[in-house]
Amino acid sequence: MMDVRRIISKIERDYIVSNLKKEERIDGRGLWEYREFQIKSDTITSAEGSADVSLGDTRIITGLKYEVGEPFPDLPNEGVCTVMAELLPIASPLFERGPPDEQSIELARVVDRGIRHADCVQTKQLCIKENEAVYILFVDMYVINYAGNLIDAGGVGALTTLISAHIPEGKWNDEKKVTEWTGKYLTGKTIVKELPFVMTYGKIEDIIFLDPSLPEELVCDGKISISVTENKITSIQKSGSATFNIDEIKMLGSKSLEIGKKLRKELNLLQYLSEIK
Amino acid sequence: MPLIIKDEYPENLFREDGKRLDGRDVNELRPIKMEVGVIKNADGSAYLEWGNNKIFATVYGPREVHPHHLAKPDKGVLRVFYRMATFSVFDRKRPAPGRREKEISMIVADCIEPLLFLELYPGTSFEVFIEVIDADGGTRCASTTVAALALADAGIPMKSLVSALAVGKIDGKKVVDLSGIEDKAGEADFPIAITWYNEEISLLQFDGDMDLEEMNEFLDLAKNALKDVHQIQLEALKSKYIKLQEETIQTKENNDKKGDE
Repeated sequence: MMDVRRIISKIERDYIVSNLKKEERIDGRGLWEYREFQIKSDTITSAEGSADVSLGDTRIITGLKYEVGEPFPDLPNEGVCTVMAELLPIASPLFERGPPDEQSIELARVVDRGIRHADCVQTKQLCIKENEAVYILFVDMYVINYAGNLIDAGGVGALTTLISAHIPEGKWNDEKKVTEWTGKYLTGKTIVKELPFVMTYGKIEDIIFLDPSLPEELVCDGKISISVTENKITSIQKSGSATFNIDEIKMLGSKSLEIGKKLRKELNLLQYLSEIK
Repeated sequence: MPLIIKDEYPENLFREDGKRLDGRDVNELRPIKMEVGVIKNADGSAYLEWGNNKIFATVYGPREVHPHHLAKPDKGVLRVFYRMATFSVFDRKRPAPGRREKEISMIVADCIEPLLFLELYPGTSFEVFIEVIDADGGTRCASTTVAALALADAGIPMKSLVSALAVGKIDGKKVVDLSGIEDKAGEADFPIAITWYNEEISLLQFDGDMDLEEMNEFLDLAKNALKDVHQIQLEALKSKYIKLQEETIQTKENNDKKGDE
């Protein structure tokens, strides 16, 4: 069993902080280094797309389901994509059963906003018939093991899930007022355009570092998550009691674009496009 | 909410060559894969793939009972929570636990409890969390099987393992290990679990119709098939320690080499 506690001793906190001051991490990483990503796509047979993403020991399984429903009156020709997250009690003794708590809602919201504001999901392609029928996509994240930084792992998981999608393609039958199957599938090629990556940084005292592990997350004063596309920042979330000065935010902005580019190339998520036509 | 593809069942559950739709014989199991120690945070954990079923189980305990009023002064409490992921089934499941999940949680807990020495752990609780992330028929049996494995992995004293599977009747023939389609379109579903320390039945449900003779045959069929499931469970437990042993030997050899240099 891994050592998981809600409270970290002062001596361990001091050890983490003194290491960070020397630009070292307790797991041997540099300040701007990610743990290793491992990605498997389309692992769930019952889902219309899925991803099993590990970031170090953090593991999240994400699945896609769809429904056909009526569009919102103000967006009659656009489908809907919603993101949900569950911090399963299997994942950590820190997680309890019951309705979603703040942490799981924040995870879902930050990942959702990263995707929503980046022109990622092509909601117009999710329209079957204006005013009558659109797709409603559910991207549901399940945390299997919690070892820090759920947001970045969840972001990659949600993105890979959408890319691996294979949703039955619908055609509107105007006489019967129902949606019928064309025999083909909508894939990530149609649904997904921009690929947003979200990067989370922890802050302890005046030190900032990428991808906090669980002990770092438990002792840090606060975190900031920045979503980026190829060359734009699309979403920011600061959480915890830490404060960031303006120069730090500017630095993190350019750092995120730089790390985002690297991640985009290394993970090459488009390789997970579904083959089904 | 309507889906574009309907969840329809075929008319015949046997192919022309006499095999079942997925190519199995009447008494053949689906492919089963089990692994223990898959979730590092837990005291014990196991993962199972049984056909298209994919299930995680973890054990936390013995630990403090929460909420406190559930604690018993003379013995420990076993609590099981069976949940399904929203995307594990054909129609998206609602995220909140439903009546079915609560019933299965109870049945699995009742099935496992006789295996444990709860009287040795007064005032504490063992919590077993089961998460079905992909479902294709027989999840209550698969969950029982994998939960027993997770308890063993946690090093909790147990009288033996328990194995479970469903037998049933499809197109008038008796078969073992019903798949999702066979479960929905078949005539009878008979989940059975056997605790191996006394070879008795500790989970039993039935839906369908059968005469007395058929019931007897079902029970024999199930017991034979369950022996295979039990073997796979034992091997999964052993393989964790074989792996550990190999790693230890490897490290020792490496250290010896370093010493020589």
